[in-house]
Parts: sequence; structure tokens; C-alpha cells
Amino acid sequence: MQDMLRRYGFGLTLAMCLLVTFWLVVLVIVPNITLFEQSFRPYLPVVEIGGPRDTYSFANYLKVFDGNVDKSLFGISFSIPVHVYTFGLTIFYSMLVTLICFAMAYPLAYYMAKIVNPRSLPTLILLLFIPLWVSEVLRAFAWWIILAFKGPLNALLMGLGLIEDPIRWTNMGYTGVVVGLIYTYVLFMLFPIYNGVQSLDTNQIEAAEDLGAPWWKIHWRIVLPHSKPGIASGSVMVFMLSAGSLLVPSILGSTTSQWFTQTIDQWFKDALDWNTASAYAFLLLLLCTVFVSVAMWLFKVKLSDIAK
Amino acid sequence: MKNTTSAFTRRRFLQGSAAGAGILAAPAIISSKALASSGELNFVGWAGYPLFTEKVFATFEGATGIKVNFKELPDQDTMFGEAKVAMEAGGIDLIEPTIDRVGAWDSNGLLGAFDESKLAMDNYLPGLADGAAGVRSRPGGVLKYVPSVWGTESLVVNTAEAKLSTPPSLGDLFSPDNSATLRPHSALAAMGRWLDATGQLPRPWMDGYTDMGAMVELWDIALAKAVEMKGNVVQWWSGENEANAGFTANGATIGLVWDSTGFNLRNDGYAYIAPVEGAIAWHQGFVITKNAANVDEAHEFVKWVSSPEGAALWATAFSANPVGKGASDFMDPEVSAFYNGTFNDEALSKLWWWPDQSAEFLAKRAEYADKYKAA
Repeated sequence: MQDMLRRYGFGLTLAMCLLVTFWLVVLVIVPNITLFEQSFRPYLPVVEIGGPRDTYSFANYLKVFDGNVDKSLFGISFSIPVHVYTFGLTIFYSMLVTLICFAMAYPLAYYMAKIVNPRSLPTLILLLFIPLWVSEVLRAFAWWIILAFKGPLNALLMGLGLIEDPIRWTNMGYTGVVVGLIYTYVLFMLFPIYNGVQSLDTNQIEAAEDLGAPWWKIHWRIVLPHSKPGIASGSVMVFMLSAGSLLVPSILGSTTSQWFTQTIDQWFKDALDWNTASAYAFLLLLLCTVFVSVAMWLFKVKLSDIAK
Repeated sequence: MKNTTSAFTRRRFLQGSAAGAGILAAPAIISSKALASSGELNFVGWAGYPLFTEKVFATFEGATGIKVNFKELPDQDTMFGEAKVAMEAGGIDLIEPTIDRVGAWDSNGLLGAFDESKLAMDNYLPGLADGAAGVRSRPGGVLKYVPSVWGTESLVVNTAEAKLSTPPSLGDLFSPDNSATLRPHSALAAMGRWLDATGQLPRPWMDGYTDMGAMVELWDIALAKAVEMKGNVVQWWSGENEANAGFTANGATIGLVWDSTGFNLRNDGYAYIAPVEGAIAWHQGFVITKNAANVDEAHEFVKWVSSPEGAALWATAFSANPVGKGASDFMDPEVSAFYNGTFNDEALSKLWWWPDQSAEFLAKRAEYADKYKAA
């Protein structure tokens, strides 16, 4: 604070503090608190709001346990609330997306940081960035076109004689959603890992090679541990963005896929019940945060590591 | 979560700054409103129909001198949201929902009443504003809804590839021989009506719309049957674009979709046909908000849409059917021909109007749609 005052003077410092306060309070804290407060109240006709039935309860949150469906997994049949089931699948497929993003991003990040000629690096980064400039809607919709039953992918595969009948790519469970999410969010994994690997001293890798370590051991013992904070922040970002994405699952979803955000959206728009929708939104936020914290604890990553 | 949060704050920011600008400009806005009290109407209607801004409102302004401030929204759930906000903020006079929602809107306390002496109730075609529809338009005994346009949701079939029973039936949607594009809650209602017509239900399907106990009993049966036959559904749709793409890009051979989809695909090898159980029909119309500021203008506007010319323009804009007597003389002949090709007098008499659906019903219906999608 003293430093800021000395550097910018009183007026400018005050302006900056006020702007930051305004941003946080009006644009982040107040809307979230409003939604949080709404989530504990029942959905009532406008005329009854504030009336005797308008009381606080956990009823909206408990609705997630309503409506069982019968499912079977590995031959075991069980009955599970439909929204819990949707939530479980959302978490599972978000994890899958995170894993595949990591598998794709790590080799590329290593290549960019340690192998490629530094002079061609800017071109490479530019090429990677260009898709990020295109709107998320367009990218998801482009994949919808590619995967469509009468779309270019089927035409290509049939033209090459690899398949005889067109395949319904967009109607194979979560395939379309996973493909779309990976394409949309893989760069959020790539750049943190790239930063992590880049800060590793190349001499360490060379020393390991000189001492006869096989390539996989170099990665396992040197590169991976060093880039762990980068991997962690990339994974957290991809996971949270995937689990919270509404657009990609809506556009690329099949007739058997349902994302938890779509359930929230349905509460808002189909059932017109904003209160339950708010409750579900907070459930998603809370449970994802818990999940990520547990995962970070398991992998022994601290928040302060990521901040570095 | 991150992306949704940031979009949210950005929007809040825009709203906040707009509100700020509004406060600064308030004296100007208020005084200009005061000067021009005779000529404005704030109307919230459907997005995606360009003829309104291109022609319809200009024609109305030419006839009456009233300027329509049109706010386009994509679906009536969003309209409901806007109306709720307008209860606090004002700024909306007329909205255009469908008749089956009027009960829910009214029980939420959003609606004001029309003054029938300022309208021309004789202008409407029989069955739209009188009879059962008339009763539904008058919750609590006062007129709160008047029709503006009506249309249907029925079968679009690929004439070359769809396998239809004779006569065509809603059951064809669930036949394993066909690939279908459906929207979940309509599909469940269609399933229920088909089961009802083929005598597979313990009680009439209509009971579910008035009695929540019956609803659960009947929808459980329809859901179980629909899930069993879900294998042939190739795409869900929720709007015009998805429905169209379900046929053209994803190869559906049959679908339960809006008439506008059938109209748009009429020259591409698809036909719009009425099932033997009767096509599903909807009508939409105007409701006036409880705190409407321009009440006289609203009545003038509603009355104009019931006149032959106004009704025809309104229906042409939606590629649907007019509500006013004598409007068919003003209609686009191609749209008229399309409708007459699907609906003869028998099919017209069999139309099944969406019943009223209460807020409680809608919540439960959403749960069934969820289960259907997740199966």
C-alpha cells in the first residue's frame, strides 16, 4: 500500500482501489450472494413472495435426490436419482476430457519448450492461438457439422472405403461432447505446462542423458515433477471449464447425453424455477471445488505452487 | 464454471452501466414520454421473424400513428423472465405467450385485464376466442388473453424413406423402422396420446393435465414406453434450427416438429402430415402486463391484429394461420396451399390443443424430460 501510494500518488491509488472494490462487490459478490439467498427460498408466484410460505429451507438442494432411474453398470443393476446420475457422469467425463487434454498437451509442450528451434517458436504459438480467436460457439458448431450424419467426416471415410454405412458420431453417448470439450479447452492445458517445462534447466536433462537414463525415466523423474504446478493449474482449469460448460454439451450432445449444466438450464427455462436452478448451480460449484481440492491433496499440489 | 461466471459479470456490468446511464438520462426520458403519451407501445414478442420489423409494425404505425417498440426474445421462458423483471422495473405493455401458459403467468400475478369494449371480439374465427378457448382466456372471469396466431406441431416425414402405418399415426414416431427427431416433452405427450388412442392407458391422458396424481401415473407409463423405444431417436430439437438440421444433416426420416419446419422443408422431399390421432395445435396471443403504461395503445394494437389485414400479416410473419375472419384473402397463397395440403376439414376437427399446464405441472414435466434424456 505504501509502495503504491509512493508510486502512483494519492488520487490514482484511491481510484484504483475504488474500481477494484466496485468490480468485486457489485459484479462478483452481490450477484452471487443474491443467487445464494434465492437458492434457499421456494419458487412461488410473484404475489406470494415475502408471504407466509416464503421461508428458508434446504428443499431446493434436496431435489437433487428426487426421481430415481434404474441403471446397470458392469452387470450390477441399481437405482439412482436421475440428477445424481447426471452429476456423476458430468464429473467422470470432465475427468476424461482433462486426462486426454493432458495426454495431448504434454508432448507438445515439451516439444515447444525443449526441442523446437526457438526461431520457429513464435510461428508455432501463433498457429496454436488462431483457433482460440474463433468464438466458442463457432468451434462447437464446426464440430457439429463435421460429425453430422451427412457431414464431411462420414463422406471422407466412405470415400476412402473405410466404412460402408455412415456412422452417427453425434449420437454415440458422450463422444461429441468429449471431442468438443477437448478441442475447446486443450490450450488451457498446453500453455501452463509449457510454462512449467520451459523453466526447467536443460542441463538437468542432458546430465540425466549422460548418466544413461532412458527417455521415460527422464520424464518421470525430472520433467514431470518439475512441471507439476503447471500440470495442476492446467488440469484445474480444463476440469472446471468442462464441468461448467453449457454450450458444448448443448450443441454436441447426443440423445443419451445430459450434462449437469443442462439440468440447471432446464430448471431455469423449462420449469421456470429459478430458485432450484440457483441451488443446483451452487451444488455444482461447491462439489467441483471440493473435488478439485481433494484431487490436489492427493497429488500433493499446493495452491501456492500454482500461483507461482 | 469460469466461463459462465465471467459472462455473467460482463452482462451485469452492461446492465449496471446501462442503468447508470438511464439514471443520468432519466429526466430527459421521462419528459419525452410525457410529451409523446399518445403514440408508443412496448411489445415483447418472438425473435427470428424478420417481417415484423420490416413490414408489420410500419403498417400498424401507418394505420394508427402508434409506434411499436419491439423487443425480440427467443422463447417464452425468457419472456416470462422479462415479465417478472418488468413487475419491478416496468417498460413492458404487451407480451405474446401461448395460451397453455396463461394459467401459469396469471397465477404468478403478472397479468392485467383487457377491456372487452375496446376490442372487437366478433373479429375472431370461431373456436379461437370463444368456447373452450374463451374460458381459458378468462382466468378469474376477466379477459386476460386474446389470440394473435395459431399453428400446429405435427409429423414431418421423408416421403421416400419413412415407413408409415395407414393412416399415419403418432406411433410411427416410435417405430424402430424410422429415425426420429423429437423434443423430449412433446415426445412424451405424443407417446401418451398414442397409448391413449390404442387403449393402453388405465385412464384418459387428459386427466394428467388437471390432476397431479394422475399425471404421475400416466407419465410414468409414457416414460417407460418411450425409454424402451428410444433407440430410433437420432436428435433432440428445441428450436427451428435444430429441428431442420435433424432432418437435413442427421438424416431423420420422421419428426414431431412445428409447422414452420414442415413449411421450410416442403420442397426438399419432406411432407407435413396430420396423424390419425390429430395434430397437436397451439395458439398464442397477447397478454397485457399488470403495470402496463400504454393501455389504450395496447388495446388498439390487439384490435388491429384481429382485423383481416392485421391478422393476415401477423400469420404470414410466422408462416402460420390467421385468427381474424376474412384474413385468408390477404394471405400468401403459398402458405395457404401448404396448410390446406395438410389439414382437410376432418384433420381440422381433430386438432388437439395443448391443455393448460400449471407451474407445478411444468416442474414435474421437466423432471420427466430429464429422465427421458438421461435414459
